[in-house]
Amino acid sequence: MNLSLLFAIMRVAGSPCADIGTLLLRRRRIMGKYVLEVKNLEKYYGQNKVLDKVDLSVRKGEIYGLIGANGSGKSTLMNILFGNSVIAATGGYSGDVLFEGEKVKLRSTTEAIGRGIGMIYQEFMLIPEMTVAENIKLTRENTKGILGKVLSPELCFVDRKKDNEDAAGVLEQLGFEIDNSYLVKNISVNAKQFVEIAREVNKGDLKLLLLDEPTAVLGDEDAGKLMKVLKELAEKGTSVIFCTHRLHEICQVCDHVTVLRDGQVVSDYGRDELDMRTLARDMIGYDVAAVKKEHQNREEKEILKFEDFSVYMPGEFLDGLNLQVYEGEILGLTSLSGHGKLAVGYGVMGQFPVKGEFLYGGAGVDVKNVRKTIENGLFLLPDDRKNMGLLLEHSVRDNIVFSGFYGRNLFQKKAAGIFPVRDRKEMERCVEEQMEKLEIKCESAGQKVKELSGGNQQKVCIARAVLVAPKVLFVMEPTRGVDIGAKEKILNSLVQINREQGTTVVVASSELEELKRISDRIAVFCEGKLSRILPPDATDEEFAFAFTGEEGKDGR
Amino acid sequence: MDGKIKLPQIIITAFMLALFVLAGFLGMDIPELVSGSFTKFVMNGVLVLAMIPMINAGVGMNFGLPVGIVAGLLGMCMAIQFRMTGITGFLGAVALSVIPAVLLGLLYAKILNMVKGKEDIAAIFIGYSFIPIMNFVWTVIPFTNREMLYPVGAKGLRPKISLENYFGNVLNELMVLKLGKISVPVGLLLAYAAVCLLVYGFFKTKGGTVMLAVGENEKFCQLSGIRIDRVRTMAIVLSTVIGAAGICVYAQTYGFVELYNAPLSHSFPAVSAILIGGCIGRRAKISHAVLGTYLYQTIYLLSAPIANAILIPQMSEIVRMIITNGIILYAFLKQERRRRQ
Ligand SMILES: Nc1ncnc2c1ncn2[C@@H]1O[C@H](COP(=O)(O)OP(=O)(O)OP(=O)(O)O)[C@@H](O)[C@H]1O
Ligand SMILES: [Mg+2]
Repeated sequence: MNLSLLFAIMRVAGSPCADIGTLLLRRRRIMGKYVLEVKNLEKYYGQNKVLDKVDLSVRKGEIYGLIGANGSGKSTLMNILFGNSVIAATGGYSGDVLFEGEKVKLRSTTEAIGRGIGMIYQEFMLIPEMTVAENIKLTRENTKGILGKVLSPELCFVDRKKDNEDAAGVLEQLGFEIDNSYLVKNISVNAKQFVEIAREVNKGDLKLLLLDEPTAVLGDEDAGKLMKVLKELAEKGTSVIFCTHRLHEICQVCDHVTVLRDGQVVSDYGRDELDMRTLARDMIGYDVAAVKKEHQNREEKEILKFEDFSVYMPGEFLDGLNLQVYEGEILGLTSLSGHGKLAVGYGVMGQFPVKGEFLYGGAGVDVKNVRKTIENGLFLLPDDRKNMGLLLEHSVRDNIVFSGFYGRNLFQKKAAGIFPVRDRKEMERCVEEQMEKLEIKCESAGQKVKELSGGNQQKVCIARAVLVAPKVLFVMEPTRGVDIGAKEKILNSLVQINREQGTTVVVASSELEELKRISDRIAVFCEGKLSRILPPDATDEEFAFAFTGEEGKDGR
Repeated sequence: MDGKIKLPQIIITAFMLALFVLAGFLGMDIPELVSGSFTKFVMNGVLVLAMIPMINAGVGMNFGLPVGIVAGLLGMCMAIQFRMTGITGFLGAVALSVIPAVLLGLLYAKILNMVKGKEDIAAIFIGYSFIPIMNFVWTVIPFTNREMLYPVGAKGLRPKISLENYFGNVLNELMVLKLGKISVPVGLLLAYAAVCLLVYGFFKTKGGTVMLAVGENEKFCQLSGIRIDRVRTMAIVLSTVIGAAGICVYAQTYGFVELYNAPLSHSFPAVSAILIGGCIGRRAKISHAVLGTYLYQTIYLLSAPIANAILIPQMSEIVRMIITNGIILYAFLKQERRRRQ
């Protein structure tokens, strides 16, 4: 068993703040003058003030944490610092940004990159039709041949071999294994994240790295690898602004933390003052009560059955699954990233080639016929929300009712007794109810989803799934990118439809802690195979062994 | 940012106005040109509307417009065969073309659904390969009205069938309003407005909104239980039917039904028009089609006489080509860039 895997197990098993990484990698810090200073920053979107007199200063070689509830303005701040075009297009900002002591007003990302600023977005910015290596080396390709020397560097042939080597090198440095030649559109979400990270890390002259929730899509193991890379970068003198909803990561790596609430800086802490509870309280203003499902003992009536079910999903292979799902239960699926937990749902919904049998209520299901599957009462909420989970150009309202209205013919009434027309009142009522329940932060239900903050977009997805009221609901990473308060609301929603409507819920998540709280059983996968099914109160040790696919001590 | 008129539209409108001014300086009959611009506008307007359903469903540009046009030609030929005249003749021709349009549209859709992702290029080739087949059909089709057949031999349809005795200009002459020296073809404009309204209304219905959603995000729709291929088929059939109606409107203004290779000449102008109207990406609005058609057709209309008047016959044609094709290129570039982002 290699060392990083050991870390992962310990991290999964142990308390989140147990900071083994820091103990092993004692850092010597070369902290100097401020690389970045932000003074009195204000930003409006229309009438909506999203940043209000924000001040921060980031030193050289410092890892600076930025936290806040969903919609508090973190991404907006990052976008300003990276000269993103949305900012100028929506009326610019006021206040000063000083980079290396010099006042700057970045108008484009190219300018920002030119100054040595890099950014990893909350949503991916990769070119789907290019390979992993091409994406990593994009605009910094190695070149060969004399043509370029004679004419212009733009005309050089790209030295693919060298590029591939370089890319492989960075990926190895990050400790992530993936074939360089895969097209990005075919790789899993966490792999995409590593490609993004690799692209930034590969830049030679990186002075400031902006990370907007880079770990949201990563499992604990991969997040750990990223933390390690961040520390190495910081040691070499790169400053990092790190934004996340996982407070233990903040406690683990940050030298300084600023908490934003509704666009204002509410507090500031140095490394020694960090404490998860205080941070949580500062972020959302109240103490969060953790959702816990009470476990009922009901008869085990099979509703779904997988027989030797394989899914050929690139980067997330599922191999010969045999599993029964019982009616009315919440089943958790977990694994280290890329080990198969996500493939189950995508396979059922015919998104990738499958082999083997999938039975629903005892009858075989043709997974290719997605419409039929959904009519029968199955529904899937994908983890890749930007590409599969949202209609970005549509309003919050349209998104929330879409699947119910079009897929299941809900929200309809009969006009003149015959014609089905949409029941706007009922729609509006449901939308409002969901927006209130999940606290979706937006100007109105008519606002376009693309204008919402990441976490609020996630809540829109959940609301949509809840309104479909399926018999079996597959959800993937339901709490990705949401703040700690919203996380409980989402978990609560899932527990509630399970309890009140009897929906069978299959949750694939990399956060074991949340699965333990809401699931009746937890299926752990390793290398594409089901390794163990554990009760939620199984010991950490048992889970740790299940993750690595090894037999427990009792030889089960 | 979406609703606003953007820079390219402003430039091209300015170019059009400049042409009007120039025409005025050259002593041309401005009122007549303006009147002409209205007719030209509606004449081509419906054909341009045939782009909208396909673009909005994410199928791409309707380069296969000849498919719809052929359906319309079949409808008109049948109407002539049955000697239908006047406004009923026109409406009859449109109604008769619906059946071939639906059938051909289904076939067209079947092919396009098989080549997902490369629809544009496939549609172009469908258009081009369909015409020779139809050329054969036109020569053997058993119509008997002598006015449609080759004068000699009385077999095979002639390339240009006059509508004079049938429904030529029926819409153009319907309710013409004189505003000073400008004559406004109210009936024609109303007919066009009605079609626009129909298309607009369709996109407000359940079927229409689903089409927009499919155009925006197919995966999302599939996972919501929507049969993507069915929605796309519906869009393609709709585009084909509108195309068929479009050629009927065109032919009645022109006064002739043009068979054989003529349908090929309509798809590029129609694509250009909607792009000039500001449709970039996967969302086409009625306003794009309307504005685009007017700008494109009016510039086309003005440039020829102006070029003749200033005795460099090629010049204005060249300028027009540069501007319109430049806009098309711009639109495509912009579209690509958006997709990358
Ligand atoms: N393009 C836009 N147009 C209008 N409003 C916007 C736009 N982008 C963001 N907003 C609004 O600005 C506020 C701050 O959004 P931002 O994305 O910065 O939040 P965030 O702190 O990153 O949240 P999250 O943790 O959910 O990612 C939100 O209320 C959001 O609705
Ligand atoms: Mg954000």
